[in-house]
Amino acid sequence: MNRRRFPWFSYLVVVTGAVLTVVPFLDMVMTSFKGPGESGTLPYRFLPEAFDLSNYRAAVAQLDLPVLFRNSVIATALITGSVLLTSSLAGYALAKLRFPGRNFIFRLVLSTMMFPPFLFFIPHFLILVHWPLAGGNDLFGRGGAGLTVSIAALVVPFLVNGFGIFLTRQFMVSIPDEVLEAARIDGAGEFAVWWRIVVPQTKPVLVTLGLLTFVDAWNEYIWALLVSTANPDVMTLPVGIQLLQDYVDPTRTMPIVMAGLALSILPVLILFLLLQKHYIRGVMLSGLK
Amino acid sequence: MVNTLTPETTERAHGPRSAGPAVNGRAQTRRRRHQAVVAYLFLAPALLFFAVFLILPLGFALLLSTSRWAGFDLGDIDPVGLDNFTGLFADGSTFLTPILTNTLLFALGTVALALAGSVLVATCIDNLRFQGLWRTLYFLPIVTTVVAVGNVWKYMYEPGGLVNGVLNALGLGSVAFLQDPDTALPSVVVVQAWASVGSAILILTAGLKSIPESYYEAAALDGAGPGTVFWKITLPLLRPSLLFVCITQFLTGLQSFALIIVMTKGGPGDATNVAALEMYRQAFSYGDWGTASAAAFVLFVVVLVVTLVQLWIFRRKGEDA
Repeated sequence: MNRRRFPWFSYLVVVTGAVLTVVPFLDMVMTSFKGPGESGTLPYRFLPEAFDLSNYRAAVAQLDLPVLFRNSVIATALITGSVLLTSSLAGYALAKLRFPGRNFIFRLVLSTMMFPPFLFFIPHFLILVHWPLAGGNDLFGRGGAGLTVSIAALVVPFLVNGFGIFLTRQFMVSIPDEVLEAARIDGAGEFAVWWRIVVPQTKPVLVTLGLLTFVDAWNEYIWALLVSTANPDVMTLPVGIQLLQDYVDPTRTMPIVMAGLALSILPVLILFLLLQKHYIRGVMLSGLK
Repeated sequence: MVNTLTPETTERAHGPRSAGPAVNGRAQTRRRRHQAVVAYLFLAPALLFFAVFLILPLGFALLLSTSRWAGFDLGDIDPVGLDNFTGLFADGSTFLTPILTNTLLFALGTVALALAGSVLVATCIDNLRFQGLWRTLYFLPIVTTVVAVGNVWKYMYEPGGLVNGVLNALGLGSVAFLQDPDTALPSVVVVQAWASVGSAILILTAGLKSIPESYYEAAALDGAGPGTVFWKITLPLLRPSLLFVCITQFLTGLQSFALIIVMTKGGPGDATNVAALEMYRQAFSYGDWGTASAAAFVLFVVVLVVTLVQLWIFRRKGEDA
């Protein structure tokens, strides 16, 4: 009750904050419609004179958009699929199966979340370069460029996620053992128990994990930049759009970059708006992004 | 895989619990052994991955940090002891100042701004209707790629951009936000904080929801004003969430450099250079794997120490709460 006093102050704060949050996106969209000579000039004007679509055409023409899109989609799909599969498999074993070394492995999984990602940039890159029998390498990883010449390089370091295993395990623990026991008595193998009973029951958490992984993989920049510097064929959308900066027409560069950005964030934005409940739950479960 | 693991199942006797008296001992033993084999099969992809992409890299990074290496033949790795580390802290090295200092300032600035902003907004949203709608709105920056966030803000900071447009409309002169060494770091900090306020609001909201309504009713009976309620009830009871946000934001702040690559590439000069970016550059621009790996470990230690200190504070506060 007392909480709800002075709503005008709350409105003032929340609306101001919301404006500060949304305005950069609006500025991006407005700029993407600005014609030649309309952006970056003084005095600043928020609205475009006419909604000029040519920047979108230029962005599409300047970038090999189908290839960027394909690379982003393939990488994101593989990462998300693999994280979901490996997490639910490992999560099930850790939650519901008895075997020696279980506690040790669970602790190992927990500890993987402790190491910051930057620690792995260099060794991961070198491991991929020296991957045996790939990209012209011999058995000892010498002679070629290893996995860095293929789309695998974008994907491989992200295939398993310790947090994903932890999250699915926590949810699977609460599935009653009796249900699994009943299925086993009916003759179901462990694989069938996992696929027919455990996976359907953990669907909500799998959707949440899938969405978190999808957004992260789609937006990943540093690693994709590194890999595509070695091999431009595997460039992803964020990396490609960053390159639009070097577009030569000085009166048009920014509007074209903004058009490219608007195109690249659209898929994630739509997905987020459709499934925001799951995503928000995921962020709360995982702490912070 | 199966064959190498089967012998281990004989250790089953140490396993967690046995399901009551063994009515059918032999069948149960067989089933348990089977379960162990299946469990290792289910875990195999993850364990294999951790071996190749977690344990091997950690060893590799440690080896590189104490070596000199041209980056081609794995046989040519020269051990140099702690030279790479002493090099980072030698006279004339830019690693301690400004790079490590920038790293801490960047993290500290981000945490302070994001925390202040999110506490203010989260408590205010709690007073309003359509809370879900507001929170979704504040969430937009989080689902957006850092390339988009960085470029939009970079453009807004330009002389003909939105921020200077607003300043000019207020009768103030333009500021060269990202070009001026004095304003570059704070300008990037603002963007990083802007991008992380949404998730902080979420965590704090969860904390706010757990404060019992009866506390507020009691305060209202006592005639407490909104300021008193905020300082004496909301803030103290929000402390666990606040510290959680603090720790995780600080960790993120110490490590992140994608936004800096996009906005300033560490410049002008080293004004916005941070440790993780320096590591990235040493390795992938200059090919100095040894120095880069050493820098990574120094940053790792900083991250670890900062986290432990915060956890220690967290625990102490928890005791007297």
